[in-house]
Amino acid sequence: MSEILRSIFSVGTFNQMLRSATPVALAAIGGSMTEHAGIMNIGMDGMILMGAFFGVLGSYLFSSAAAGLALAVLMGILVGLFFALLVVKLRSDEFIIGCALNTFALGLTTYLSRSIFGAAGTKGNPFLPTVSLPLLEKIPFVGQILNGHSLFVYLTWLLVLLMWLFVYKTPYGFWLRAAGEKPQTLRTAGVSPEKMKWLASILCGIFCALAGAHLSLGQLNGTFAENMSNSRGFIAFACVIFAAANPAKAYLAALMFGFFDAIGLRLQDYISSDLSGMIPYLITVIMMVYVVVRGQRRKQRARQNTAPADAPPAAAGR
Amino acid sequence: MKKTIALLLSCVLLFCSLSLLAGCGKTETDVNAPDAGADTTKVALVVAGKFGDRSFYDSSKEGADRLVADCGVTLTTIECNNENHDAQMRNAADAADIVVCVGWEFYNIETIAPEYPDVHWIWIDNATSQPVANVLNITYAQNEGSYLAGYIAAAMSESGVVGAVGGEDCDTINDFLVGYAQGAAAFSPDVKVVTNYTGTYDDPAAGKECAIALNDQGADVIFQIASAAGDGVFEAAKAKGFYAIGVDCDQKYIADDVIICSMKKEVGNSIYDAIKAYLGGDTSKWGTTWVADMSNGYVSIGYGEEGSTQQVSDEIKQQVEALEKQIVSGEIVVDTTRK
Repeated sequence: MSEILRSIFSVGTFNQMLRSATPVALAAIGGSMTEHAGIMNIGMDGMILMGAFFGVLGSYLFSSAAAGLALAVLMGILVGLFFALLVVKLRSDEFIIGCALNTFALGLTTYLSRSIFGAAGTKGNPFLPTVSLPLLEKIPFVGQILNGHSLFVYLTWLLVLLMWLFVYKTPYGFWLRAAGEKPQTLRTAGVSPEKMKWLASILCGIFCALAGAHLSLGQLNGTFAENMSNSRGFIAFACVIFAAANPAKAYLAALMFGFFDAIGLRLQDYISSDLSGMIPYLITVIMMVYVVVRGQRRKQRARQNTAPADAPPAAAGR
Repeated sequence: MKKTIALLLSCVLLFCSLSLLAGCGKTETDVNAPDAGADTTKVALVVAGKFGDRSFYDSSKEGADRLVADCGVTLTTIECNNENHDAQMRNAADAADIVVCVGWEFYNIETIAPEYPDVHWIWIDNATSQPVANVLNITYAQNEGSYLAGYIAAAMSESGVVGAVGGEDCDTINDFLVGYAQGAAAFSPDVKVVTNYTGTYDDPAAGKECAIALNDQGADVIFQIASAAGDGVFEAAKAKGFYAIGVDCDQKYIADDVIICSMKKEVGNSIYDAIKAYLGGDTSKWGTTWVADMSNGYVSIGYGEEGSTQQVSDEIKQQVEALEKQIVSGEIVVDTTRK
């Protein structure tokens, strides 16, 4: 038993937790923006895939990882604009557009990948550097876990902080949230909720593009494979809902997902891989149930607290 | 007005996605045959996954392309992208004389093939439970090739632990694994074999994590059996500095410095030879299961093209050749998960 525990709670597990969590977390930060703005965005998976592809394409075309990142972000902005055009401007059903975006991204990246790189795909393009901090190296265990990852593992920490500040400490963040919760009030205050939704959509496009670029250019050293996003966008969406669109909490949720992913992989030695592969998703379901139940409790309590003021007619009827 | 534009745009978007998706599974007719017109046989190649894996499916395509070039048959390819296998089989059969189904997933061939008695079917990598008159099953003795891969891995390992990353927990993948473990044990009973499964064939990041987890357990030679997800195994090998073994095709060129050899399954050659026989009028194989194994050269070990770095010493290569002879002669019987 202790051997099982040791193999599960090893440095490798926590390393993998960080690696697996980062692309999901980046997408979840983006998803938090659209969620705050009141857009249910299930198109994140497609956005990640686009980022992954255009990151590699840029790196291939310009022989520079930075150019790859730039191209991915540029395409992320375009995809965000496109999404907003359909969902905000033209008021189509965001669910359908999200689905279409996923299918579209898979088709487009597959098509472009094959026409540009050929069926054999591409490899060996310039990729994002890994970061090794000499100071961190000296700390036992923690240093081993935190050190030597790809650049975006660290940038994500910064981005989480920045976006948390943006959402909760700036007027823009306030308007963004208002655009989702009370658009009419925001309009009365002289700010266009539509504009905030456009902003949220573009931000989401950028963050998902970063997630994709990190996946292909960071984690896999410039490799693109068809459908490589492998439903990370949906996991990110679950993280967003779980975190009530708080970027910091969404990052923690992504870490949790990464952790159970790593545990699941290591449990394969003891249970069937089909079962262990379920673990992260099972946890997701449990997380969601917890969120819903907690939300309902809170609502119930709020209703009880305000009941005397709110419900005189009912009292009179009794 | 806005609604109309929205509807139109959505339609365009959906249409684009569909046509693009269809584009990947689209009929792709090769007309650059030298003596096209010499033969009017229509061959449909239906793969369960998609091309671009640089191994299994690409090998089948390569064999079919060679048929086009040599015999002038007309080729249609369909990629199922892991769904709609039955419908795609029917689509293929509607317009072809020979349908080649590549992948163990096409098990409904047993009921679909009799609906098209004039079509000659070839099922790659699995066999019908009962012989079907117009189906030729081709299975591969991947356990035999994996035995040699396991032997090489054990011989090259310094830690005494060798690993294998499988795509999923199924018979075909496990057939590799049992052969691999037996081969490693043949080198030395003390060698430990660790394995895990990616659970996906698409996601190289998952393959990389699997390989790193095995490396953490001490494995310093890792065999990948996970299609495109296996690319991640090579990435992990580069990052962590261990050796990897390729699968199905000679994958050495993908990462010359870490891939020491590949377990080759000559899917393309077997398709080529089967259809060549058909064109020559020999259809005696249909209705049977043809095991393409080491004795007829369809399963082997590849060490890369000439000029590539050779990590495996000539001494080990000679031992492997001797083992190969013993397997062919039946002296060594390799375990299998096949019934």
